Amino acid sequence: MSKITLDLFRFDEATGEDPRRERVDIDFPETSTVLDALEYAKAEVDGSITFRRSCRSSICGSCSMNINGTTGLACKTPINSVLREDRSVRIDPMPNFEPIKDMVVHMDPFWDKYSRLKPYLQPADKDSDHERERRVSPEDMKKLVAVANCVMCATCYALCPVISVDPSFAGPAAIAYAYRFIEDSRDAQTSERVAQISDDYLWLCAHCYACSYCPKHVDPHDRIIDTKRKSVELGMTNAPGPRHALVVSKTIKQTGMLAENEVIVGTVGKFNFKGLLKIMPLGLRMAAKGKVPPLIMHPVPKVDEIRTIFDAMEVPVA
Amino acid sequence: MATAITDPLPAKRRSKSAQMKRYGFFPGCVAKESCTELFNSTMLLADRLGIELIELTAASCCGASVLNDVNRDVARVLNARTYAQAEALGLDDVITICSTCTGHMRAANKELLEDERHMEHANAILGKFNASYQGTVSVRHLLWLLIDDIGLDELRKMVVNPLNGLKVAPFYGCHIIRPESVNGWESARNPHSLEDLITALGGEPIDYAGKTRCCGFHVQLEKDGIAANMVGQNMRIAKDKGAEAVLTPCPLCHLALDGYQADSVARWGRTDLPTFHLPQLVALALGVDVTKLGLKRHVISPGAILQERDLAPMHVA
Repeated sequence: MSKITLDLFRFDEATGEDPRRERVDIDFPETSTVLDALEYAKAEVDGSITFRRSCRSSICGSCSMNINGTTGLACKTPINSVLREDRSVRIDPMPNFEPIKDMVVHMDPFWDKYSRLKPYLQPADKDSDHERERRVSPEDMKKLVAVANCVMCATCYALCPVISVDPSFAGPAAIAYAYRFIEDSRDAQTSERVAQISDDYLWLCAHCYACSYCPKHVDPHDRIIDTKRKSVELGMTNAPGPRHALVVSKTIKQTGMLAENEVIVGTVGKFNFKGLLKIMPLGLRMAAKGKVPPLIMHPVPKVDEIRTIFDAMEVPVA
Repeated sequence: MATAITDPLPAKRRSKSAQMKRYGFFPGCVAKESCTELFNSTMLLADRLGIELIELTAASCCGASVLNDVNRDVARVLNARTYAQAEALGLDDVITICSTCTGHMRAANKELLEDERHMEHANAILGKFNASYQGTVSVRHLLWLLIDDIGLDELRKMVVNPLNGLKVAPFYGCHIIRPESVNGWESARNPHSLEDLITALGGEPIDYAGKTRCCGFHVQLEKDGIAANMVGQNMRIAKDKGAEAVLTPCPLCHLALDGYQADSVARWGRTDLPTFHLPQLVALALGVDVTKLGLKRHVISPGAILQERDLAPMHVA
């Protein structure tokens, strides 16, 4: 047993009062989990402390919350891994969500994005023969296993910096789940699904790998990359995201380097004068300080080796 | 927070490159294009540290986290080619000065070293031009070199122009810490190498929530305002915590932080924090000629703050 202070976010939407912080002191083994400590505090100190929980073994996905500034499952977080120097643990609701009461948040935006994907199998023969088993090869199943582990705890959504400034982004979990059906050999709506997730800003992923903290190792960032590649394969390339990827590929093949000027113009669109005009102020600010990438990029030595690699691997370029 | 490791790594744990003080050097595209001040200040710092950075001039772009969007395997093979060039020079460290290069080159190397099918595939293609990669290279950031090979104590002794308590907000850049399975040199959730370094140089590190967050560089062109908002959000927190400047080991973060603060004023207010490249601030403290660090090339000039802290006259930036 040791003295531990839970530094809690307290709030009740129903009262209309501002959130406050409350420090709750408990005697508790620090080898236990943060969820155990919360349950103990609720049972022994203050029954009004509110949080979601069910399975206590990272299967149900209920207890994601913000612990000392980073989000994760309270049931999977040992106290001694997060105990601060003053023997306290700061606990807040998940960011990127509106709180209802204490650590309980409105999950609606997360579920809305999930249900938009039609997260159920849509096979070609859906009206015939309900008795027949639809089989998936072990090879195909391998692609789906990681996402099948998702418990929809929304940790990735809470950690996503893009969501924090622009909630129109589908978010990591929804894209990973879209991928789960896109790559399912039994599903017949592949291109419709890719088109829809592209509309929901698939390409707005900032490549930050914050979702690599996924407690279930779904690795949404990798599934996002896989889904983007699928959209390029299907020819859905008329948007800044895919244009960017393809022009980067082109300049590396031509020069060995990512040619900044060509990539900027190629991404915005050579004839997209409005778009180019919008980035002008930044360009001028930089140019005023001499921060201008070379207008003509000279290829690196032995660039033919690089082109050999691109050709051998049939890498798409703009 | 864990305590800083102040001694360099013991000799037997050091790479061959570290023992010879000769490293393979991968500057990356941005340091050769829009941020030449990063390239130049890195070379000046290396000189001051008495190490030799041998530029891999025939190397290609690392893939910049973008090539994966068109082909899952090509960045791995391109990077294998780069590592083969380092091996051919007898060097076992490839030093990077960009967080994105670090993360993606390490990811490629991890795949090559952990799965022999990937290594065979890469070498089959490299064989077309008589190159091969034997798997002896480590990819390391200059920041890690400073702490592991030089050591914070040694750096502290080399400081001739201490930062006089300059309040510096560290900004790590995603790919030098995440995913942890690829980088793992320090905790991704609570890194402290930049703070340790700032302290060793005589500055005061600012602890703030934005330090491990994303600058938005990789989505700056996908949708209006995204990167500016991500920059504004992080710089607002840093400024409110008292930061006077930002230090980043990543030129992509530098471009976003330096370039977009002016565009985030409407939503986040004026922040105007000058953003130093890692080697600029180290070189400044170690007494490298401050006029050669390219400080005039920053959109947000660090001149006023350098003068205020008695570090350099205003006109150098």
